[in-house]
This record gives sequence, structure tokens and C-alpha cells, in this order.
Amino acid sequence: MRKVLLTLAVLIAFTGNAYANTIKASVNGLVCAFCATAIEKTLMKQPAVEAVRVDLEHKLVTITMKQGQNLDDDTVEKLISDAGYTITDIARESTNGPAK
Amino acid sequence: MSIWKACTWKAWKGMASKTYIKATIAVAVIAGVGLSAPAIAKPLSYPGGTMIMQENDETGHTLSLDYTVTPKYAVALYAKKEAGGDDFYTVGPQVNALIKRWNLPDGQGNIFNMTGAGITHDGNNNEASVWTGFLADYETRRIFVSYEPRFMYAGDIDKSFSQRARVGVAPYLANYDDLNTWLMVQVDHHPKKDDTFVVTPFVRFFYKTTLMEAGYSSNDRLMFNWQLQF
Repeated sequence: MRKVLLTLAVLIAFTGNAYANTIKASVNGLVCAFCATAIEKTLMKQPAVEAVRVDLEHKLVTITMKQGQNLDDDTVEKLISDAGYTITDIARESTNGPAK
Repeated sequence: MSIWKACTWKAWKGMASKTYIKATIAVAVIAGVGLSAPAIAKPLSYPGGTMIMQENDETGHTLSLDYTVTPKYAVALYAKKEAGGDDFYTVGPQVNALIKRWNLPDGQGNIFNMTGAGITHDGNNNEASVWTGFLADYETRRIFVSYEPRFMYAGDIDKSFSQRARVGVAPYLANYDDLNTWLMVQVDHHPKKDDTFVVTPFVRFFYKTTLMEAGYSSNDRLMFNWQLQF
């Protein structure tokens, strides 16, 4: 019984991590911190988004998704476009396991 | 009469007169004569975003509340008490539009239009007024330049053109989570005023959703502007 419970716990933990995706969007026009708050505000309205980090130096927006959640490229591009910016590249990373 | 009384239904109803109609037709014919709310920052943010902005400078005291409806349009409520008149003010709604944006690898350029209509009050005189202005800006993380021509038509009270240019430099490159500091100069040109050219050196700070500007003009007026985004 103990083994079964332990196996279940490990499986649940691993499954959660497998879908913890991070999206890294390279963005043109990202020069003003005051204006770039629009990106954070827009993305944080999405229920699937856990956190947003804006990096002016590297012109990068990092979107951390909630476990098991995701946003497709078109949605990310539209949201960042709505906030006033242009995406040049999207890369994806996942913690433990392939990107979903 | 206070500025807020002018916002009451009675005041608005009183303005639904020939004067108002005349002015409305005038703006349609002239296609863009008026006075615009000068923008201390971009006059729209993101869909669903709200901004409140107050400007206190050598031209007067301005309060505006903006709500961004789409990525290219925002609606605003605008009120300004002009400097140099004890009872000279304008109130009314305004539409802010993004005409063109250039997102470049190391910079961003924009052209906006801000157009509105309302009431201008001076002493015992009320006039329907219309206004429009354009804001063109370009900025990198290091430099900022903008130019803003403005037009106003307020019947017998005011018919004017003015323009504003701003340049700025960031003494250090701040990132998103840092306090951003800019050293800037603003030049206002009011052809009809005694002080035709006014130069205002000022410092701009912003952190996340709060922006503040403070300076002192060549005609000995304090400048203090602030803006909040929600």
C-alpha cells in the first residue's frame, strides 16, 4: 500500500512538471518600461499564465505558464501585438519533459 | 462657476445651442481645428487599460482619464484650467487614436491623434469647443524625441495653434523592474501668448505603472505631471 501511494505521488508530481512550459518571445519596440507594462497586464489577464517577465536589455518577454496550461504561438503573437509590440521569434522551454 | 459644475447636465444642456452646432459644423469643415490634451506619455495603453494623468505646467492644469478600448483607440475625459485666467477652462470627451507605430529592434516610433469636443468657459462666456492634436514620438532606451502640434477652436474665446517639442536622454539604461530616470527639455511655442517660446527643463521618473515629471520653466512656472496606469 505504501509503495502504491509513493508511486502515485511521484507520478502526480512528475506529470505536473511535465507541462510547466515557459514561452520566450523576442519583441521589437521593447524600449520603454512604462509602456511595456501593457505586455505584463495583457498577458496576466490570461488564466493560463502564471507569470510574466519583461527584459528590456534582451528585448525578451518570458511567459511562465501554469502547470498543464499553454498558449499557442498565434495567441501569444496577438496578445503582444494588442499590447503594442511586434514579435520576432518565439521559443519554448519546458521543465521536465517535452514542450506541449 | 467651478470646473465641475460645467460637467453637469444643466451646463451641457445649455450648450446644446446654435453655438454648439455652429462649432461642430466648423470642425467638420475645417477637419481638425481644436485644442488637444497634451500627452506626457502615450495617450493609449492596452485594451481594457485605464490611465489617469494630471499636468500642472506653464499652460495650466490638466486632468484626464483615458480608457483604452482597442489597441488603436482610447476614449478620454479631459478637463483643463488655463493659466492666465481665473475662470478659463475646457472640459469634454476626447478620442485618442494610434495612427501608425513602428516597432524596431532598438526603438519605437508612433504617431497619435487626440481629438475632442466640449465646452470652454471664460468669465461669463461659454463656448462649444473642439480640439485636435498630433503626437509623433521616437524613443530608444537612451533617447526620446517628440513633437506635438495642437489646434483649438472655442468660438469667441479662443482660436489658436500651439506646438510642443520634447527631447530627453536616459543617464543610465534601466531595465523593466528598475526606477527609470530621464533628463528632458520641453519647448512650448504659443504664437498668441506673451511668452511665445517657453523652455522647461525637467526630470522624468517612472517605475512600473507610475510616471512623474518635475521641472521649472523659463517663464518661472513649476511643472509637475504624473500619470498612473491600471
